[in-house]
Amino acid sequence: MTGRGGVTTGPLPIGQFVQLVKQTVVRDPLFKNQALRGEVTQWKQYPSGHTYFSLRDQDGQMRAVIWKGRCAIDSSIKEGSEVVVLASLDLYVRRGEIQLNVERIEPVSILGELEKTKRLLVEQLRKEGELDRERLAIPLPPKHIAIITGAGSAALSDMQQLIENRWPGLRRTVIGVLVQGPRATEEIVRGLAVARKLADPVRARKRGEPPVDLVIVGRGGGSPEDLWSFNLEPVARAIIASPVPVVSAVGHESDILVSDLVADLRASTPSDAVERVVPVLPELHYFLDEYQERLTNASRRQISDNRQRLRTLHARLRVAPMAGLNRAKAQLFALTSRMKVSSNQSLSIQTTRLAQFEASLAAIHPQRVLERGYSMTQTTDGSVVSSIACIEVGQNITLNFADGSADAEIKKTHTNEGEK
Amino acid sequence: MSDEKITYTEAMHRLETIVSTLERGGMGLDETLKLYEEGADLLRLCKTELSAAEGRLHELQLDDIETELQAEEQ
Repeated sequence: MTGRGGVTTGPLPIGQFVQLVKQTVVRDPLFKNQALRGEVTQWKQYPSGHTYFSLRDQDGQMRAVIWKGRCAIDSSIKEGSEVVVLASLDLYVRRGEIQLNVERIEPVSILGELEKTKRLLVEQLRKEGELDRERLAIPLPPKHIAIITGAGSAALSDMQQLIENRWPGLRRTVIGVLVQGPRATEEIVRGLAVARKLADPVRARKRGEPPVDLVIVGRGGGSPEDLWSFNLEPVARAIIASPVPVVSAVGHESDILVSDLVADLRASTPSDAVERVVPVLPELHYFLDEYQERLTNASRRQISDNRQRLRTLHARLRVAPMAGLNRAKAQLFALTSRMKVSSNQSLSIQTTRLAQFEASLAAIHPQRVLERGYSMTQTTDGSVVSSIACIEVGQNITLNFADGSADAEIKKTHTNEGEK
Repeated sequence: MSDEKITYTEAMHRLETIVSTLERGGMGLDETLKLYEEGADLLRLCKTELSAAEGRLHELQLDDIETELQAEEQ
Protein backbone atom coordinates (compact mmCIF):
# COMPACT_ATOMS: atom_id res chain seq x y z
CA MET A 1 0.00 0.00 0.00
CA THR A 2 1.16 3.45 -0.79
CA GLY A 3 0.65 6.32 1.64
CA ARG A 4 -1.27 9.34 0.54
CA GLY A 5 1.87 11.37 0.24
CA GLY A 6 3.42 8.52 -1.68
CA VAL A 7 6.55 8.93 0.37
CA THR A 8 6.67 5.52 2.03
CA THR A 9 5.79 2.09 0.93
CA GLY A 10 4.86 -1.00 2.92
CA PRO A 11 2.30 -1.39 5.66
CA LEU A 12 1.12 1.87 7.23
CA PRO A 13 1.22 2.07 11.02
CA ILE A 14 -2.32 2.03 12.27
CA GLY A 15 -1.89 5.20 14.30
CA GLN A 16 -0.98 7.11 11.15
CA PHE A 17 -3.94 5.64 9.36
CA VAL A 18 -6.30 6.66 12.13
CA GLN A 19 -4.82 10.13 12.03
CA LEU A 20 -5.49 10.22 8.29
CA VAL A 21 -9.08 9.14 8.82
CA LYS A 22 -9.47 11.76 11.50
CA GLN A 23 -8.24 14.50 9.21
CA THR A 24 -10.66 13.43 6.50
CA VAL A 25 -13.56 13.23 8.90
CA VAL A 26 -12.86 16.50 10.64
CA ARG A 27 -12.38 18.38 7.42
CA ASP A 28 -15.62 17.21 5.82
CA PRO A 29 -18.18 20.05 6.12
CA LEU A 30 -21.00 17.53 6.20
CA PHE A 31 -19.80 16.41 9.65
CA LYS A 32 -19.26 19.92 11.02
CA ASN A 33 -21.79 21.73 13.20
CA GLN A 34 -24.50 19.27 12.34
CA ALA A 35 -27.82 19.49 14.20
CA LEU A 36 -28.69 15.98 15.38
CA ARG A 37 -31.61 14.56 17.24
CA GLY A 38 -31.78 11.49 19.43
CA GLU A 39 -32.20 9.99 22.85
CA VAL A 40 -29.57 10.32 25.57
CA THR A 41 -28.20 7.09 27.03
CA GLN A 42 -25.25 6.25 29.25
CA TRP A 43 -25.28 9.87 30.45
CA LYS A 44 -22.25 10.42 32.68
CA GLN A 45 -20.91 13.67 34.07
CA TYR A 46 -17.33 13.26 35.35
CA PRO A 47 -15.68 15.26 38.15
CA SER A 48 -13.26 16.56 35.53
CA GLY A 49 -16.20 18.54 34.15
CA HIS A 50 -16.49 16.59 30.89
CA THR A 51 -19.77 14.87 30.08
CA TYR A 52 -19.97 11.66 28.10
CA PHE A 53 -23.05 9.99 26.67
CA SER A 54 -24.44 8.18 23.66
CA LEU A 55 -26.98 9.67 21.29
CA ARG A 56 -29.29 7.07 19.83
CA ASP A 57 -32.53 6.28 18.15
CA GLN A 58 -34.05 3.02 16.94
CA ASP A 59 -31.74 2.90 13.88
CA GLY A 60 -28.33 3.81 15.24
CA GLN A 61 -26.16 5.46 17.86
CA MET A 62 -22.89 7.28 18.47
CA ARG A 63 -20.72 8.26 21.44
CA ALA A 64 -20.68 11.94 22.28
CA VAL A 65 -18.76 14.26 24.56
CA ILE A 66 -19.34 17.72 25.94
CA TRP A 67 -16.01 19.18 26.94
CA LYS A 68 -15.87 21.06 30.20
CA GLY A 69 -17.37 24.53 29.93
CA ARG A 70 -18.16 24.12 26.23
CA CYS A 71 -21.88 24.84 26.65
CA ALA A 72 -24.67 25.13 29.18
CA ILE A 73 -26.38 21.85 29.99
CA ASP A 74 -30.08 21.97 30.84
CA SER A 75 -30.57 20.33 34.21
CA SER A 76 -33.61 18.41 32.95
CA ILE A 77 -31.42 16.34 30.62
CA LYS A 78 -30.98 12.84 31.91
CA GLU A 79 -30.93 9.23 30.83
CA GLY A 80 -33.64 8.76 28.22
CA SER A 81 -34.10 12.46 27.40
CA GLU A 82 -34.84 13.37 23.83
CA VAL A 83 -32.33 16.06 22.78
CA VAL A 84 -31.11 18.08 19.85
CA VAL A 85 -27.35 18.68 19.72
CA LEU A 86 -25.16 20.83 17.58
CA ALA A 87 -22.04 18.69 17.07
CA SER A 88 -19.06 17.98 14.89
CA LEU A 89 -17.63 14.61 14.14
CA ASP A 90 -14.32 13.81 15.74
CA LEU A 91 -12.17 10.75 16.01
CA TYR A 92 -10.47 9.72 19.20
CA VAL A 93 -7.25 8.45 17.77
CA ARG A 94 -6.10 6.40 20.77
CA ARG A 95 -9.13 4.17 20.50
CA GLY A 96 -9.99 4.72 16.89
CA GLU A 97 -13.47 5.63 17.94
CA ILE A 98 -15.65 8.13 16.22
CA GLN A 99 -17.42 10.51 18.54
CA LEU A 100 -19.43 13.68 18.49
CA ASN A 101 -17.97 16.86 19.97
CA VAL A 102 -21.05 18.59 21.23
CA GLU A 103 -21.15 22.40 20.99
CA ARG A 104 -24.73 22.85 22.16
CA ILE A 105 -27.37 20.59 23.65
CA GLU A 106 -31.11 21.26 24.09
CA PRO A 107 -33.85 19.03 25.46
CA VAL A 108 -36.68 18.38 23.02
CA SER A 109 -40.12 18.58 24.39
CA ILE A 110 -41.90 16.07 22.18
CA LEU A 111 -44.15 15.47 25.10
CA GLY A 112 -45.08 19.13 24.98
CA GLU A 113 -46.05 18.72 21.33
CA LEU A 114 -48.01 15.56 22.07
CA GLU A 115 -49.78 17.18 25.00
CA LYS A 116 -50.94 19.93 22.72
CA THR A 117 -52.50 17.52 20.20
CA LYS A 118 -54.06 15.58 23.06
CA ARG A 119 -55.66 18.74 24.46
CA LEU A 120 -57.04 19.63 21.06
CA LEU A 121 -58.46 16.13 20.63
CA VAL A 122 -60.12 16.20 24.05
CA GLU A 123 -61.61 19.59 23.26
CA GLN A 124 -62.92 18.33 19.94
CA LEU A 125 -64.44 15.20 21.52
CA ARG A 126 -66.05 17.30 24.21
CA LYS A 127 -67.58 19.58 21.59
CA GLU A 128 -68.98 16.55 19.80
CA GLY A 129 -70.54 15.38 23.07
CA GLU A 130 -68.52 12.15 23.08
CA LEU A 131 -67.27 12.76 26.61
CA ASP A 132 -70.81 13.08 27.99
CA ARG A 133 -72.28 10.22 26.00
CA GLU A 134 -74.17 7.66 27.99
CA ARG A 135 -71.86 4.79 28.89
CA LEU A 136 -72.75 1.19 28.20
CA ALA A 137 -73.32 -0.97 31.24
CA ILE A 138 -70.78 -3.66 32.03
CA PRO A 139 -72.56 -7.00 31.55
CA LEU A 140 -72.95 -9.31 34.51
CA PRO A 141 -71.87 -11.95 33.95
CA PRO A 142 -69.73 -11.19 30.89
CA LYS A 143 -70.27 -14.12 28.52
CA HIS A 144 -67.44 -13.40 26.13
CA ILE A 145 -64.62 -10.96 26.83
CA ALA A 146 -62.26 -9.73 24.12
CA ILE A 147 -58.88 -8.69 25.49
CA ILE A 148 -56.79 -6.48 23.23
CA THR A 149 -53.23 -6.19 24.50
CA GLY A 150 -49.63 -7.10 23.84
CA ALA A 151 -49.28 -10.81 23.01
CA GLY A 152 -47.04 -12.48 25.57
CA SER A 153 -46.91 -9.33 27.70
CA ALA A 154 -46.70 -9.37 31.46
CA ALA A 155 -49.99 -7.43 31.52
CA LEU A 156 -51.70 -10.25 29.62
CA SER A 157 -50.39 -13.02 31.82
CA ASP A 158 -51.39 -11.01 34.93
CA MET A 159 -54.92 -10.66 33.55
CA GLN A 160 -55.16 -14.33 32.55
CA GLN A 161 -54.00 -15.41 35.99
CA LEU A 162 -56.41 -13.09 37.74
CA ILE A 163 -59.36 -14.16 35.60
CA GLU A 164 -58.62 -17.83 36.27
CA ASN A 165 -58.51 -17.10 39.99
CA ARG A 166 -61.82 -15.28 39.92
CA TRP A 167 -63.81 -17.20 37.35
CA PRO A 168 -62.06 -20.32 36.05
CA GLY A 169 -62.95 -21.04 32.43
CA LEU A 170 -64.60 -17.70 31.74
CA ARG A 171 -64.95 -17.43 27.96
CA ARG A 172 -62.47 -14.99 26.44
CA THR A 173 -60.65 -14.19 23.23
CA VAL A 174 -57.25 -12.52 23.40
CA ILE A 175 -56.33 -10.40 20.38
CA GLY A 176 -52.56 -9.92 20.49
CA VAL A 177 -51.48 -6.52 19.17
CA LEU A 178 -48.46 -4.22 19.36
CA VAL A 179 -49.05 -1.70 22.12
CA GLN A 180 -45.87 0.34 21.63
CA GLY A 181 -43.95 1.82 18.75
CA PRO A 182 -45.01 3.31 15.45
CA ARG A 183 -47.45 0.52 14.52
CA ALA A 184 -49.20 0.33 17.88
CA THR A 185 -51.99 2.78 17.10
CA GLU A 186 -52.95 1.03 13.89
CA GLU A 187 -52.89 -2.43 15.52
CA ILE A 188 -54.99 -1.36 18.50
CA VAL A 189 -57.56 0.10 16.10
CA ARG A 190 -57.58 -3.13 14.07
CA GLY A 191 -57.91 -5.13 17.28
CA LEU A 192 -60.99 -3.11 18.22
CA ALA A 193 -62.38 -3.73 14.72
CA VAL A 194 -61.94 -7.47 15.23
CA ALA A 195 -63.71 -7.24 18.60
CA ARG A 196 -66.56 -5.40 16.89
CA LYS A 197 -66.92 -8.25 14.37
CA LEU A 198 -66.90 -10.82 17.18
CA ALA A 199 -69.64 -8.82 18.91
CA ASP A 200 -71.95 -9.27 15.92
CA PRO A 201 -74.61 -11.80 16.98
CA VAL A 202 -75.04 -13.24 13.46
CA ARG A 203 -71.35 -13.88 13.05
CA ALA A 204 -71.11 -15.22 16.60
CA ARG A 205 -73.86 -17.73 15.87
CA LYS A 206 -71.91 -18.87 12.83
CA ARG A 207 -68.79 -19.22 14.94
CA GLY A 208 -70.77 -21.18 17.48
CA GLU A 209 -70.00 -18.95 20.45
CA PRO A 210 -71.78 -16.12 22.26
CA PRO A 211 -71.02 -12.67 20.84
CA VAL A 212 -68.31 -10.63 22.51
CA ASP A 213 -70.13 -8.51 25.11
CA LEU A 214 -67.18 -6.76 26.74
CA VAL A 215 -63.81 -5.46 25.49
CA ILE A 216 -60.73 -4.79 27.58
CA VAL A 217 -58.08 -2.80 25.77
CA GLY A 218 -54.84 -1.91 27.48
CA ARG A 219 -51.26 -2.57 28.42
CA GLY A 220 -48.94 -2.35 31.40
CA GLY A 221 -47.39 0.88 32.55
CA GLY A 222 -44.67 2.76 30.70
CA SER A 223 -43.38 6.21 29.92
CA PRO A 224 -45.94 8.72 28.66
CA GLU A 225 -44.51 8.28 25.15
CA ASP A 226 -44.93 4.51 25.37
CA LEU A 227 -48.61 4.90 26.21
CA TRP A 228 -49.20 7.58 23.63
CA SER A 229 -51.28 5.48 21.24
CA PHE A 230 -54.04 5.58 23.86
CA ASN A 231 -54.09 9.37 23.50
CA LEU A 232 -54.60 9.34 19.76
CA GLU A 233 -57.74 10.01 17.82
CA PRO A 234 -57.99 6.70 15.86
CA VAL A 235 -57.98 4.69 19.10
CA ALA A 236 -60.45 7.07 20.75
CA ARG A 237 -62.81 6.85 17.75
CA ALA A 238 -62.59 3.06 17.64
CA ILE A 239 -63.49 2.87 21.33
CA ILE A 240 -66.44 5.22 20.83
CA ALA A 241 -67.64 3.16 17.84
CA SER A 242 -67.74 -0.09 19.83
CA PRO A 243 -71.25 -1.56 20.09
CA VAL A 244 -70.27 -3.28 23.35
CA PRO A 245 -68.73 -1.71 26.46
CA VAL A 246 -64.99 -1.04 26.36
CA VAL A 247 -62.74 -0.92 29.41
CA SER A 248 -59.64 1.25 29.11
CA ALA A 249 -56.96 -0.67 31.02
CA VAL A 250 -53.67 1.12 30.66
CA GLY A 251 -51.23 1.06 33.57
CA HIS A 252 -50.61 4.63 34.63
CA GLU A 253 -50.70 6.69 37.74
CA SER A 254 -51.42 10.33 37.17
CA ASP A 255 -52.28 11.48 33.67
CA ILE A 256 -55.67 10.55 32.33
CA LEU A 257 -55.50 9.15 28.82
CA VAL A 258 -57.98 9.96 26.09
CA SER A 259 -58.94 6.27 26.02
CA ASP A 260 -59.91 6.61 29.70
CA LEU A 261 -62.14 9.55 28.86
CA VAL A 262 -64.05 7.85 26.07
CA ALA A 263 -64.20 4.28 27.41
CA ASP A 264 -67.27 2.91 29.18
CA LEU A 265 -65.13 2.06 32.19
CA ARG A 266 -61.72 3.31 33.20
CA ALA A 267 -59.33 1.03 35.04
CA SER A 268 -55.94 2.07 36.41
CA THR A 269 -54.19 -1.14 35.32
CA PRO A 270 -55.04 -4.28 33.35
CA SER A 271 -55.46 -6.19 36.62
CA ASP A 272 -57.74 -3.46 37.95
CA ALA A 273 -59.86 -3.91 34.82
CA VAL A 274 -60.24 -7.63 35.53
CA GLU A 275 -61.18 -6.95 39.13
CA ARG A 276 -63.84 -4.52 38.05
CA VAL A 277 -65.51 -6.61 35.37
CA VAL A 278 -64.89 -10.24 36.28
CA PRO A 279 -66.88 -11.25 39.34
CA VAL A 280 -65.64 -13.91 41.72
CA LEU A 281 -67.69 -16.94 40.70
CA PRO A 282 -67.88 -18.62 44.15
CA GLU A 283 -69.23 -15.32 45.53
CA LEU A 284 -71.99 -15.28 42.93
CA HIS A 285 -72.87 -18.86 43.82
CA TYR A 286 -72.85 -17.91 47.46
CA PHE A 287 -75.30 -15.05 46.79
CA LEU A 288 -77.58 -17.36 44.84
CA ASP A 289 -77.46 -20.00 47.60
CA GLU A 290 -78.27 -17.33 50.13
CA TYR A 291 -81.27 -16.16 48.12
CA GLN A 292 -82.37 -19.76 47.71
CA GLU A 293 -82.27 -20.18 51.48
CA ARG A 294 -84.03 -16.91 52.24
CA LEU A 295 -86.68 -17.65 49.65
CA THR A 296 -87.36 -21.10 51.07
CA ASN A 297 -87.34 -19.97 54.68
CA ALA A 298 -89.54 -16.94 54.08
CA SER A 299 -92.04 -18.99 52.07
CA ARG A 300 -92.14 -21.68 54.76
CA ARG A 301 -92.73 -19.05 57.42
CA GLN A 302 -95.50 -17.55 55.33
CA ILE A 303 -97.18 -20.91 55.01
CA SER A 304 -96.93 -21.62 58.72
CA ASP A 305 -98.15 -18.10 59.50
CA ASN A 306 -101.12 -18.75 57.29
CA ARG A 307 -101.79 -22.03 59.07
CA GLN A 308 -101.55 -20.28 62.43
CA ARG A 309 -103.91 -17.57 61.30
CA LEU A 310 -106.36 -20.23 60.16
CA ARG A 311 -106.21 -21.88 63.58
CA THR A 312 -106.82 -18.62 65.34
CA LEU A 313 -109.76 -17.85 63.08
CA HIS A 314 -111.18 -21.29 63.74
CA ALA A 315 -110.95 -20.79 67.49
CA ARG A 316 -112.53 -17.37 67.28
CA LEU A 317 -115.29 -18.74 65.13
CA ARG A 318 -116.21 -21.23 67.83
CA VAL A 319 -116.52 -18.64 70.58
CA ALA A 320 -118.10 -15.99 68.38
CA PRO A 321 -121.84 -16.77 69.14
CA MET A 322 -121.21 -16.74 72.92
CA ALA A 323 -119.41 -13.52 72.59
CA GLY A 324 -122.41 -12.06 70.74
CA LEU A 325 -124.76 -13.19 73.43
CA ASN A 326 -122.61 -11.72 76.16
CA ARG A 327 -122.41 -8.50 74.31
CA ALA A 328 -126.24 -8.40 73.96
CA LYS A 329 -126.61 -9.07 77.68
CA ALA A 330 -124.32 -6.26 78.53
CA GLN A 331 -126.23 -3.97 76.24
CA LEU A 332 -129.50 -4.97 77.81
CA PHE A 333 -128.16 -4.34 81.29
CA ALA A 334 -126.95 -0.92 80.29
CA LEU A 335 -130.30 -0.07 78.75
CA THR A 336 -132.19 -1.24 81.83
CA SER A 337 -130.22 0.85 84.21
CA ARG A 338 -130.52 3.85 81.95
CA MET A 339 -134.26 3.31 81.83
CA LYS A 340 -134.48 3.10 85.63
CA VAL A 341 -132.72 6.35 86.06
CA SER A 342 -134.93 8.16 83.60
CA SER A 343 -138.22 6.73 84.97
CA ASN A 344 -137.23 7.65 88.54
CA GLN A 345 -136.72 11.15 87.38
CA SER A 346 -140.19 11.38 85.75
CA LEU A 347 -141.81 9.83 88.86
CA SER A 348 -140.52 12.51 91.13
CA ILE A 349 -141.69 15.20 88.72
CA GLN A 350 -145.14 13.68 88.76
CA THR A 351 -145.22 13.43 92.54
CA THR A 352 -144.56 17.13 92.80
CA ARG A 353 -147.25 17.90 90.29
CA LEU A 354 -149.69 15.67 92.24
CA ALA A 355 -149.03 17.57 95.47
CA GLN A 356 -149.77 20.81 93.68
CA PHE A 357 -153.05 19.39 92.44
CA GLU A 358 -153.93 18.27 95.97
CA ALA A 359 -153.30 21.74 97.32
CA SER A 360 -155.48 23.45 94.74
CA LEU A 361 -158.12 20.79 95.17
CA ALA A 362 -158.15 21.41 98.94
CA ALA A 363 -158.67 25.11 98.33
CA ILE A 364 -161.97 24.48 96.57
CA HIS A 365 -163.29 21.71 98.93
CA PRO A 366 -167.06 22.37 99.91
CA GLN A 367 -166.13 22.12 103.58
CA ARG A 368 -164.20 25.39 103.20
CA VAL A 369 -167.39 27.04 101.82
CA LEU A 370 -169.55 25.75 104.69
CA GLU A 371 -166.99 27.11 107.12
CA ARG A 372 -167.69 30.56 105.69
CA GLY A 373 -171.48 30.24 106.72
CA TYR A 374 -172.98 28.64 103.62
CA SER A 375 -174.91 25.37 103.90
CA MET A 376 -175.41 22.50 101.44
CA THR A 377 -178.81 20.85 100.84
CA GLN A 378 -179.09 17.15 100.03
CA THR A 379 -182.09 15.03 99.24
CA THR A 380 -182.59 11.79 101.07
CA ASP A 381 -180.84 9.88 98.32
CA GLY A 382 -177.73 12.06 98.91
CA SER A 383 -177.81 14.19 95.77
CA VAL A 384 -176.92 17.84 96.19
CA VAL A 385 -179.81 20.28 95.62
CA SER A 386 -178.59 23.15 93.48
CA SER A 387 -182.04 24.43 92.24
CA ILE A 388 -185.52 25.10 93.71
CA ALA A 389 -186.88 23.11 90.81
CA CYS A 390 -185.36 19.89 92.30
CA ILE A 391 -187.65 19.96 95.39
CA GLU A 392 -191.30 20.12 96.14
CA VAL A 393 -193.49 20.86 99.16
CA GLY A 394 -193.62 18.07 101.74
CA GLN A 395 -190.18 16.60 100.68
CA ASN A 396 -187.66 15.70 103.41
CA ILE A 397 -184.19 17.19 103.02
CA THR A 398 -180.92 17.35 104.96
CA LEU A 399 -179.16 20.67 105.59
CA ASN A 400 -175.37 20.30 105.94
CA PHE A 401 -173.31 22.82 107.95
CA ALA A 402 -169.62 22.97 108.59
CA ASP A 403 -169.90 21.32 111.97
CA GLY A 404 -173.16 19.25 111.65
CA SER A 405 -176.44 18.65 109.84
CA ALA A 406 -180.22 19.01 110.35
CA ASP A 407 -183.22 17.18 108.78
CA ALA A 408 -186.12 19.42 107.56
CA GLU A 409 -189.46 19.30 105.63
CA ILE A 410 -190.34 21.74 102.79
CA LYS A 411 -193.43 23.87 103.74
CA LYS A 412 -193.46 26.22 100.78
CA THR A 413 -191.26 27.04 97.77
CA HIS A 414 -190.47 30.42 96.18
CA THR A 415 -188.87 30.91 92.83
CA ASN A 416 -186.66 34.05 92.39
CA GLU A 417 -188.04 36.69 90.00
CA GLY A 418 -186.44 36.54 86.64
CA GLU A 419 -184.97 33.05 87.29
CA LYS A 420 -187.77 31.26 85.65
CA MET B 1 -88.31 -18.26 27.44
CA SER B 2 -88.57 -15.49 24.88
CA ASP B 3 -85.75 -13.35 23.47
CA GLU B 4 -86.51 -10.54 25.88
CA LYS B 5 -85.61 -12.58 28.91
CA ILE B 6 -84.39 -10.53 31.81
CA THR B 7 -80.70 -10.12 32.58
CA TYR B 8 -78.86 -11.60 35.51
CA THR B 9 -78.76 -8.22 37.24
CA GLU B 10 -82.49 -7.65 36.76
CA ALA B 11 -83.17 -11.15 38.02
CA MET B 12 -81.11 -10.49 41.16
CA HIS B 13 -83.01 -7.25 41.82
CA ARG B 14 -86.36 -8.98 41.39
CA LEU B 15 -85.18 -11.79 43.69
CA GLU B 16 -84.28 -9.27 46.37
CA THR B 17 -87.75 -7.73 46.11
CA ILE B 18 -89.46 -11.12 46.25
CA VAL B 19 -87.44 -12.36 49.20
CA SER B 20 -87.86 -9.18 51.23
CA THR B 21 -91.59 -9.11 50.47
CA LEU B 22 -91.91 -12.66 51.73
CA GLU B 23 -89.75 -11.87 54.76
CA ARG B 24 -91.93 -8.90 55.66
CA GLY B 25 -94.79 -11.36 55.92
CA GLY B 26 -98.55 -10.89 55.79
CA MET B 27 -98.93 -12.65 52.43
CA GLY B 28 -101.79 -14.94 51.61
CA LEU B 29 -101.12 -18.51 50.68
CA ASP B 30 -101.77 -17.95 46.97
CA GLU B 31 -99.47 -14.98 46.80
CA THR B 32 -96.76 -16.79 48.77
CA LEU B 33 -96.78 -19.72 46.39
CA LYS B 34 -96.77 -17.44 43.35
CA LEU B 35 -93.79 -15.47 44.68
CA TYR B 36 -91.95 -18.63 45.65
CA GLU B 37 -92.36 -20.06 42.17
CA GLU B 38 -91.22 -16.82 40.54
CA GLY B 39 -88.18 -16.73 42.84
CA ALA B 40 -87.28 -20.31 42.07
CA ASP B 41 -87.52 -19.59 38.32
CA LEU B 42 -85.25 -16.55 38.72
CA LEU B 43 -82.69 -18.58 40.64
CA ARG B 44 -82.66 -21.20 37.89
CA LEU B 45 -82.20 -18.46 35.29
CA CYS B 46 -79.26 -16.95 37.22
CA LYS B 47 -77.52 -20.30 37.50
CA THR B 48 -77.98 -20.90 33.77
CA GLU B 49 -76.53 -17.46 33.05
CA LEU B 50 -73.46 -18.22 35.17
CA SER B 51 -72.72 -21.48 33.44
CA ALA B 52 -73.29 -19.81 30.04
CA ALA B 53 -70.28 -17.57 30.74
CA GLU B 54 -67.88 -20.49 30.69
CA GLY B 55 -66.39 -21.49 27.38
CA ARG B 56 -63.41 -21.61 25.11
CA LEU B 57 -60.29 -19.56 25.64
CA HIS B 58 -58.73 -18.24 22.42
CA GLU B 59 -55.42 -16.46 22.26
CA LEU B 60 -54.67 -15.21 18.76
CA GLN B 61 -52.37 -12.77 17.03
CA LEU B 62 -54.11 -9.89 15.33
CA ASP B 63 -53.11 -11.06 11.83
CA ASP B 64 -54.29 -14.61 12.47
CA ILE B 65 -57.70 -13.68 13.76
CA GLU B 66 -58.16 -11.19 10.93
CA THR B 67 -57.35 -13.92 8.41
CA GLU B 68 -59.74 -16.27 10.18
CA LEU B 69 -62.55 -13.71 10.06
CA GLN B 70 -61.88 -12.93 6.41
CA ALA B 71 -62.05 -16.63 5.56
CA GLU B 72 -65.45 -16.77 7.26
CA GLU B 73 -66.70 -13.91 5.17
CA GLN B 74 -66.02 -15.74 1.90
